[in-house]
Amino acid sequence: MKDHPITRRRALTTLGALGLAGAGGLTLQAPRRAHAQTLGQHETVDEALKRIFGARPMKDGGGIVKLDLPLIAENGAVVPVSVDVTSPMTPANHVKTIYVVADKNRIPVVFRTTLGPEAGQAAVGATIRLGETGDVRAIVEQSDGTLLAVKREVKVTVGGCGG
Amino acid sequence: MSDIGKVRVRLPSSIKPGDVVRVRSLVIHPMERIERDSKGKIIDKKYLYINRVVATYLGKTVATFDTTQSVSENPTFVFSFRATDPGTLTITFYDTHGGKYEGTADVKFV
Repeated sequence: MKDHPITRRRALTTLGALGLAGAGGLTLQAPRRAHAQTLGQHETVDEALKRIFGARPMKDGGGIVKLDLPLIAENGAVVPVSVDVTSPMTPANHVKTIYVVADKNRIPVVFRTTLGPEAGQAAVGATIRLGETGDVRAIVEQSDGTLLAVKREVKVTVGGCGG
Repeated sequence: MSDIGKVRVRLPSSIKPGDVVRVRSLVIHPMERIERDSKGKIIDKKYLYINRVVATYLGKTVATFDTTQSVSENPTFVFSFRATDPGTLTITFYDTHGGKYEGTADVKFV
């Protein structure tokens, strides 16, 4: 086993790469991989926001964006989050992307949703992990490029990020 | 994890044409967390987690999610779309090891 040229890890990695090449349209392949690379990184939340949004101004989305989270998350491994944005969702004026960012997570960017006018309503949700008590933000990018941000503090009893 | 990749898609029971429909989808997936060795250093390996979710309806993409390891195990995703015609809603999950899991739901009007 010591001199075996193909380790299990190498075999799995190769298989994974092959599978990725096979999945989905080839034209979309490069950007899709790139996104995955740039989203999930170990960094602080400030680094993440700077990397994704640069110096673009962010407005307070208080009246428009509704971020729904439990006040106290007893189990940080599964925390339901939902983001509702009041938007007409017409081709001229719709919500383009919604980011959910957990400030205290080692990988702060949790997910990014891309929507189109076909969505009819800008309302998304997911179950996420929270490492410890801290702010969770939703950052909404509208079709005209405006950024709206809201945040809420969540108390986490048992962290769910491990490692 | 023999159930890995099992997808469930839920639509409301009655949909009228033109309604904005809220979809709930669930996928069984371990969504591996970052592991560290005894010195606290991150073990560098190709972690198995879902990094992309694509929902299509009548051939059009209605929503996509790009996800990281901060998403929970067996994650659910909720989104909406406008039901205009009968057809199939397909949700596809891609993971970092090349896995592709698909779930569908028929959009029917009563």
